[in-house]
Amino acid sequence: MNVRSQIAMVFHLDKCIGCHTCSIACKNVWTDRKGTEYMWWNNVETKPGTGFPTQWENQDKYNGGWVTFQEKLELRSTSKTKTVFNIFHNPHQPSMDDYYEPWTYDYQHLFNAPEGNDQPTAIPLSLVTGKPMETIEAGPNWDDDLGGSPVYAANDPNLKNLPEDQRDQLFAIERLVYFYFPRICNHCLNPSCVAACPSGALYKRGEDGIVLVDQQRCRAWRACVAACPYKKVFYNWFTGKSEKCILCFPRLETGQAPACFHSCVGRIRYLGVLLYDAERIEEVAKRPDIELIDAHRAMILDPHDPEVIAAARTNGISDGVIESAQKSPVYQFVKVWKLALPPHIEYRTLPMLFYVPPLSPVMARRDGDTVDHVSDNLFHDIDESRVPMQFLANLFGAGHEGKVRYALAKQKAVRLYRRAVTVGDITMAMAERALREADCTVDEAEEIYRLTSLCTFDDRFVIPPAQREQAIEMMKDPHEHRQGAGFGFLTGPRRGL
Amino acid sequence: MTVEVTRKVSFGGRLLVRLAGFACLTLDSMPLQAQETAEYFKRNCANCHTIGGGRLVGPDLKNVGQRKDKEWLTRFLLNPKAVMDSGDAYAGRLFQDSRGVLMPTAPDISAERADNLLVLIEAESKLERSQFAGALTAIPDRPFTEQEMEHGRLLFVGLKPLANGGAACLSCHSVQGASILGGGQLGPDLTAVWNKLQGRKGLAAWLSSPPTPTMQPVYKNHPLDSQEILELVAYLESAKDERETSSVARFNFFLLGLAGTAGGFVLFDFVWRRRFRAVRRDLVHAGEESEDT
Repeated sequence: MNVRSQIAMVFHLDKCIGCHTCSIACKNVWTDRKGTEYMWWNNVETKPGTGFPTQWENQDKYNGGWVTFQEKLELRSTSKTKTVFNIFHNPHQPSMDDYYEPWTYDYQHLFNAPEGNDQPTAIPLSLVTGKPMETIEAGPNWDDDLGGSPVYAANDPNLKNLPEDQRDQLFAIERLVYFYFPRICNHCLNPSCVAACPSGALYKRGEDGIVLVDQQRCRAWRACVAACPYKKVFYNWFTGKSEKCILCFPRLETGQAPACFHSCVGRIRYLGVLLYDAERIEEVAKRPDIELIDAHRAMILDPHDPEVIAAARTNGISDGVIESAQKSPVYQFVKVWKLALPPHIEYRTLPMLFYVPPLSPVMARRDGDTVDHVSDNLFHDIDESRVPMQFLANLFGAGHEGKVRYALAKQKAVRLYRRAVTVGDITMAMAERALREADCTVDEAEEIYRLTSLCTFDDRFVIPPAQREQAIEMMKDPHEHRQGAGFGFLTGPRRGL
Repeated sequence: MTVEVTRKVSFGGRLLVRLAGFACLTLDSMPLQAQETAEYFKRNCANCHTIGGGRLVGPDLKNVGQRKDKEWLTRFLLNPKAVMDSGDAYAGRLFQDSRGVLMPTAPDISAERADNLLVLIEAESKLERSQFAGALTAIPDRPFTEQEMEHGRLLFVGLKPLANGGAACLSCHSVQGASILGGGQLGPDLTAVWNKLQGRKGLAAWLSSPPTPTMQPVYKNHPLDSQEILELVAYLESAKDERETSSVARFNFFLLGLAGTAGGFVLFDFVWRRRFRAVRRDLVHAGEESEDT
């Protein structure tokens, strides 16, 4: 057992209201520099939809992630041989059109325009060329709230294997449905971006598993951009280096939640430490699709188990981190309640960001002038959900419905139970039966309810101590370091020119 | 007792051997050095010079010491190019006589070796017939046969390998008409080399042991045999009246290279034709088309 710690995340999709506050917070903190205008380390997508960059889930086009080939794990995008043959041109890159051409507006024109018959307008200016843009063809959330759905939603790669009638119904006006899918870097356990880098510039931090790009070592091969199946590594065209979500590690190290987590209006985001067995990464990533979720969960270790604690200590994981792991809300959602599922685990990068799948609205039916619910029960049968189960399974279950159905049934049972407690129009007996069927106890239902609905800041973000002072101690006296750093310079200012 | 006697005997024996060895060394030292110098002359000088055998590429060295003083000769031997560049009139004349072939600096030349060489030349000049009176490879005066010329061409372009494993001439040199694509551009064009090296004898002497710093290491361990020299001389003689590679041919070669590069790009473009694949635009176009129908 090789125990390591990882800061992991849960996004509760049932709570996301699609306000994009997270994206804006991230943008303002990290990607408002030249060359990063088009980047969205955090973005919120509408599902069904094609996302950002367009159709990022279509690996036939982007070739991201891993595949198993003859009992071995291989990158889809590159290999040593392919690197040699593609030395002058790195294929499978998203083009600017697949992202979008970033733009601003010429606001001065509103004030300076010469007098004319029409109101002056703010002309869009490209942030890449600086020239006026004739038409803006795409944006980072161009398909937001099902905008342009015949083009975008209809081409969602997750619609594959859906029966024709289900697919058609998805776009019938009465049952139009969508949910939000906020995305950041998954800080995977088996990151394909790290594996693909020919310069060894990407690395996974030992202490908390955050995946970073070393800006000094990056040589602009962009192999990481192609290899990441989630398309969450971006190329800065101005600095000629790749960049990605850093999980706001400077904030984490000072005990604050990352900007997108901190600013989340719907309080959908949870963050905490998971202990996992690094020895099993390769073995787990090679499992067939249907076993992946269980194997991934099995890798995550119980932080209360004395054996795990002992092994963690021998690996240098401090008691503070172990304690933090024991309080981790992520551990509850992922391992104990089995509510949170990894996105597209079939890419085999073993993401460490998990999603609680959304319960979608009740199915409606138009009958003459009246719109009716199909189900008599407000808490409808999850299989009658407007979002087809297969669609969610393609997103969160590697194509298999079992795990998704389990998570939805449990969520539904908790709702029934709380309804019985607070409203009372459902009998407790009925609620308890629903809980039993959903593999849930009353206590567990209470806990799920508390962490879902009544969670405070400290419940949601259990940030482990970063213990930078220990790292500094290895090189320098911490007191001396404190006096010599912290003035906004990486190297301290010196007298003179 | 017996042991002591043996020791004495053996000691005396060793002393004898040493004395004899010392005597031999002092006695044989002069001829040894002369022999070495002669060997050096044969390897590095005889391919262009004779002593009393008339001029090859370079002048006959018989009594050279009477033509120029020792100081000048030593200076010239050590670095012919420097003397030439200094505007020395005599060196200029030599350069003209040899039709523009500048004497290369001999390998491992030193003041001492230059001295030895001059001593050797002086000694050989006094002989009735010097060992360096003739060219190293005897080339007949008869006209060459068609077959010899053809064999020479095959050797030149490398279709017939050289017996001792030397690189074919074409690797670095070209001759007008030798092959369709011309030849190597590293060394000079050899179309007119027969004229430049003043005929068969000069050419054959050159080939028997190429003296230039570039060619010497290449052929030092892979010398040409006399039959090959004969055939190459025959070929180069047959080519002597051709025009050197004209600028038109060079331009054609350049154009060919340009076409090849363009062809390569077209091939790459085809092989990697999927490298630019728009995702979003294709979706939009497909959407527009389905709306139209």
